[in-house]
Amino acid sequence: MTTTHLAAPGAPDAPGATDTPGTSGASGTSGSPGTLVELSGITRSFRQGDLTVDVLRGVSFSIAHGEFVAIQGASGSGKSTLLHILGLLDSPTTGRYVLDGHDVSHLDDDARSEARNQLTGFVFQNFYLIPYATALDNVLLPGLYSHKNLRAQRRRAEELLHRVGLGDRMDFVPARLSGGQQQRVALARALLNDPALILADEPTGQLDSTTSADILDLLADINRTGKTVVVVTHDAETAARARRRIVIRDGVIESDGLHGDGAVPPPGAASASAPSDGPSAGPSSGTSGPGAPA
Amino acid sequence: MTSPAATASGPAPGGFVRPGGRSGLARLRGLLREAWRAAVLGLSALLAYRLRSFFVIAAVSLGIASLTVIVAAVDGASKKADEIADMFGPDAVLVFGGNIVNRAVGARTLTLTWEDAARIRQSLPGAYIVLPMRSKGNVRLKHESNNYDVPLVAGTTENYAKAWNWPLVEGRDLTAEDVQRGGRVALMGDKPARELFGDANPVGRTFLMSGVPFTVVGLLQYRGMSGGGGNVDDRVVIPITTLTQRFNMDRRYFRALRVKFEDTAGMDAHVEDLRSLLRHLHRLAPEDPDDFTVLTAREVLKFLAVIKGGLVLFLGVTAAAAMVVGGFVLANLFLLSVTERRVEIGLKKALGAPGRAILLQFLMESLALTLCGAVGGVVLGALMGQALERLGLIEMVLSAKVFLLALAAATAVGLVFGLRPARQAAALDPIQALRGGE
Repeated sequence: MTTTHLAAPGAPDAPGATDTPGTSGASGTSGSPGTLVELSGITRSFRQGDLTVDVLRGVSFSIAHGEFVAIQGASGSGKSTLLHILGLLDSPTTGRYVLDGHDVSHLDDDARSEARNQLTGFVFQNFYLIPYATALDNVLLPGLYSHKNLRAQRRRAEELLHRVGLGDRMDFVPARLSGGQQQRVALARALLNDPALILADEPTGQLDSTTSADILDLLADINRTGKTVVVVTHDAETAARARRRIVIRDGVIESDGLHGDGAVPPPGAASASAPSDGPSAGPSSGTSGPGAPA
Repeated sequence: MTSPAATASGPAPGGFVRPGGRSGLARLRGLLREAWRAAVLGLSALLAYRLRSFFVIAAVSLGIASLTVIVAAVDGASKKADEIADMFGPDAVLVFGGNIVNRAVGARTLTLTWEDAARIRQSLPGAYIVLPMRSKGNVRLKHESNNYDVPLVAGTTENYAKAWNWPLVEGRDLTAEDVQRGGRVALMGDKPARELFGDANPVGRTFLMSGVPFTVVGLLQYRGMSGGGGNVDDRVVIPITTLTQRFNMDRRYFRALRVKFEDTAGMDAHVEDLRSLLRHLHRLAPEDPDDFTVLTAREVLKFLAVIKGGLVLFLGVTAAAAMVVGGFVLANLFLLSVTERRVEIGLKKALGAPGRAILLQFLMESLALTLCGAVGGVVLGALMGQALERLGLIEMVLSAKVFLLALAAATAVGLVFGLRPARQAAALDPIQALRGGE
């Protein structure tokens, strides 16, 4: 686990990367400042009666600050489990996960909650807004557990709602918002604590194509400000919006590459390491960059 | 707050931990802020699930109302017992003819004679009032056009008011002369006085008792208590001689004897002396039981305590059952709520809520509801108590104690019965919980 697959500093899909710490160093050693996510040899097994089901069978890759990554796979491929581990909702059975410089592989429940709160922002397929709370209160929800000044959080929540275009609907309860608007609220909520990593689980799964495009544009905008965005999807079109695409199948990474058809299978499929020569192979084939077809 | 310290800790194993350097005060403030905001969110949840909240409040209210009634009624009973004992007087006894404890079949209850009274007055040390009493029930009184059937006409000797610590608001007590000459004079309780004379002062006025004219010489103070045998204010008191003559009653015996002593210190000895003397006068052999009963203030209290105990037991069981039922309703509705709000719980956990925050949220909701139930219950209980009081079933004393007890009981119910659902919520796995919402 020496090199990481990362977008070159100042790459077009990470224009804001300059203000994230350490992007200048592209050396990509373990825990290097440019690396946000580093998974090495992640496995996850579930027991079902006497059977042990290996859902993840050795997954390794890194994500640099400011990347926009799609994790793609069919249902049952292990992509949800991978998302849960990335989002600190679950711990790997074996392997090491370093997130933003912290080893989060085996945290206890409380520490994991706090890490989730500080380091990750979730966007779900079903939005998951609290039905009896206003848009503003929904955005403020992660702040409830972050011990920060309420007034500052409120200001930030208002700002974020303006940013996602709902400045005039802060007091609406979810039932009065359309699906796309609800997902915008969820996006604002994911940003409240200014997390390093935004995780979106089929963010457009419940939306029509126009609204989906809006939400994906918004995610791209968020990425452009320097946030690392990971979208988990089975939908090729959604995945196409990301610069880098990781395809998972049967619990191992099938391919991992920059956008285009030239996704490079990692050397030795189930083996752990991320493609060491990714950066060189990737851009050559995936030249479309940010202007990916919607 | 956490990030800088956490960043400094680097990717060491278990690197993401709460920084220990945070001061106790900052930690407390953080916790308070967390609690406050959890409370606010909890309240909006309770509003969102109004119907369920209402049922919980209603269930707890009923329990608390029973509790309120029982506490107020027991307090009322205690107060009344004290009043009765006080009225009875710690320095006095009441002797009944017959043995009311071991009543033999066919045993005579008229065993106290004028001679007994005279001998006690003469030779019992410390006794300064010896007052024989007889009574007759349901006598027709008449004044002008007002008729009234008084349930009790008591016949007694002089110093009735003094013997019973019962002040006269108007007029005078019965005198030895009244008794000697069989005078047609009467002391009136508040109730018959009102019935016959309205608000006018009855002293000096004349009324008919079974057709015989009597003059009111004194008005007894209103006591406002309903003793065992009805309203104590509902009586007329006349000289015992007049009673036996006019109603043609036996002249040798009387029903009861009130004896008042000069001091309360030697009451036990006084009572023992009185018993020995009466046994001697009645020529009882050592193995014979008493053919009379001596009642002291202490025994009155004991007797009332037994009644009170029954009341406490009955109402206590009712109140406890109601509270437990309320608690179960609460627990079940909250378990339902936890199931129904799985997604909300899972979401909060996914957004970084630690288990304790979820626990706190549900306990807060539970407490908020039970405390509302406490307030509603006290109000409901006071209303129920008032209704019962109006029916003459109980007497209530509402105090701050009642309210504090209600709050304590509600808090206990909220915490005890809210804990299990709250823990269940706190233990929910966010992945499972969110999956449940799909």
